[in-house]
Amino acid sequence: MAVAATSPAIQASGLTKTFGKVVAVDGVDLALERGRIYGALGPNGSGKTTLIRLLTGLARPTAGYASILGLRMPSREALARIGYMTQSDGVYPELTVGENLRFFASMYGSAGGDAGREMLDLVELSDRLATPAYELSGGLRRRLSLACALAHRPSVVFLDEPTVGVDPALRVQFWAYFRRLASDGTTLLVSSHVLDEADRCDDLVFMRAGRIIARGSGAELRSQAGTDDLEDAFLRLAGAAAEPGAEREPGAERER
Amino acid sequence: MSPRRIGAIARRIAQQFRHDPRTLALLFVVPLFIIALLAWILGAQQAMEVRVVVVDPTPGGRIAAALATAGTEHGITSVTTAASAEEAEALLRDDSADVALIVPADLIGGASGGASGTAPPTLTVMTPGVNPGSDGTAVAAVQRSLGAALAAVLPGSVTFPTVVHVTVYGSPDATTLDTFAPVFIGFFAYFFVFLLTGVSFLRERLGGTLERLLATPVTRGEIVSGYSLGFGAFASLQVAVLLAFVILQVQIPSIGPLPAFAIGLGVPSAGSPLLAYAVALLLALGAVNLGIFLSTFARTELQVIQFIPLVIVPQGLLGGIFWPVEQLPPFLQVVARLMPVTYAIEGLRAVMIVGADLTSRVLQVDLAFLAGVAILLVALATRTIRRQVV
Repeated sequence: MAVAATSPAIQASGLTKTFGKVVAVDGVDLALERGRIYGALGPNGSGKTTLIRLLTGLARPTAGYASILGLRMPSREALARIGYMTQSDGVYPELTVGENLRFFASMYGSAGGDAGREMLDLVELSDRLATPAYELSGGLRRRLSLACALAHRPSVVFLDEPTVGVDPALRVQFWAYFRRLASDGTTLLVSSHVLDEADRCDDLVFMRAGRIIARGSGAELRSQAGTDDLEDAFLRLAGAAAEPGAEREPGAERER
Repeated sequence: MSPRRIGAIARRIAQQFRHDPRTLALLFVVPLFIIALLAWILGAQQAMEVRVVVVDPTPGGRIAAALATAGTEHGITSVTTAASAEEAEALLRDDSADVALIVPADLIGGASGGASGTAPPTLTVMTPGVNPGSDGTAVAAVQRSLGAALAAVLPGSVTFPTVVHVTVYGSPDATTLDTFAPVFIGFFAYFFVFLLTGVSFLRERLGGTLERLLATPVTRGEIVSGYSLGFGAFASLQVAVLLAFVILQVQIPSIGPLPAFAIGLGVPSAGSPLLAYAVALLLALGAVNLGIFLSTFARTELQVIQFIPLVIVPQGLLGGIFWPVEQLPPFLQVVARLMPVTYAIEGLRAVMIVGADLTSRVLQVDLAFLAGVAILLVALATRTIRRQVV
């Protein structure tokens, strides 16, 4: 593949998206290295999902561009190496767990064999292969959705709120698996509004109103804001970035 | 184009059907049920018993008596007489008669006199005018019997010739079912396939699976092809089942307490069933892509249903199922000529009744138009699936 090994896994330059008068993503520049876990944090409506859709080439930027593994988006070549777990479950309710997994794997041209089985073990759905997705609880469907996004062993993974509705024990396993993927060279961008997950990421970007208001590791952001609490750090940094009194509720929510 | 991805999408559609028996029933059992119901209504329709009241100027009611004799074979069951048109009308009003025949007093004189310059006598037929169908049946019964009845009464003993009805295609005793059945094969294929694809694709858009699908290297051409293949396979099965049900008839002998009965309608097909199959299948392929295309303009499943009166019903009304396209008002004829269902119905009738084959000009035009519409809709459907929607 003619992709320079040195090009960043995820790159954005002046990436902007407006819907009418609303600026959803406002001039975002990113250069994310391979083999790391990045967290995009911010309240609902801060532009996290739109940013991911722009990076994956699913939305057309109003200005700027995105490239993945050095390939300017939209690119089908890049899509073959991307895994995307959408915020909605995005699985076929009538299909069984196994059929969903095989279907998405075949869209990537892989049979979904070993990686698929490994994924099913991870998300603890191996004994439910023949269960239709509509019979799964919300948390189980979330796990299936994650398995469908990872079964083709992508190099760049976008996870939009992956742990919503997933119980704490499994959440710990998810993050351990994400870490393992990263150490194998996979780049992950995880969006979340759960701040206690943030410390599991190597680097964080704080988003508010479509802009990146701060970036760095958890420790850097804490010292920058002069507080030990990440939530306080977000509020202080968000407050510093905002016009005084412009927004009533700038804080990130702890849980939905 | 990756055949593997197209195949995977088609297989997924088949799997969805397999897990959803009710939708399968909608596709296969419901059309059979409706066609069988229709066959029952049309085939075993109760013959109307026509009751005639005659205002008869002849002494002793000779016209009424002759009409009763001549009318037995045309469904006239009773003939009474009335003294005046008013009295006859009263009988129609309280539903004691279905049709009144008012014979003027000068009929006998006028007909036998035959003097040039005098206007020919006028017979009046009066009906309630509530139900055009039964009115028509009653008037036709009177008209068919009238010639023989008058011949028996009028002096000069004129012999009325017997009219024998023959047809170029089919047979004169073809039931309405023979002409309706081919049409409904096409219409059901169109309707159900449109409904299923429309809802199915809308659910892809709403459920986030389309977004996820577009995040894979799949092309939109592969998506449309996969859908056409998957739903096309089910549509072709549906058409095959319907065709077999309409054309074949299997007699089941009586077993124990069960009376003997027949499965299938046994409607004769003058032409090749394969050609009829091709016509219906082309129509159904168009319907798959119409469903994908129109699902763009719906935000809920209910809104897909709302397209039925807008898209399906006008085609049912104008397509030639009930009224020949040539009898429509000129403007509506133009509209009908733009609708695929019109051509499918024309083609199905050409094959099954006229026995047209591929050398038939009409069938060539029908097949070409249907193929053109299918290609156009594939293009439109492809355009609505966009990776970068906004």
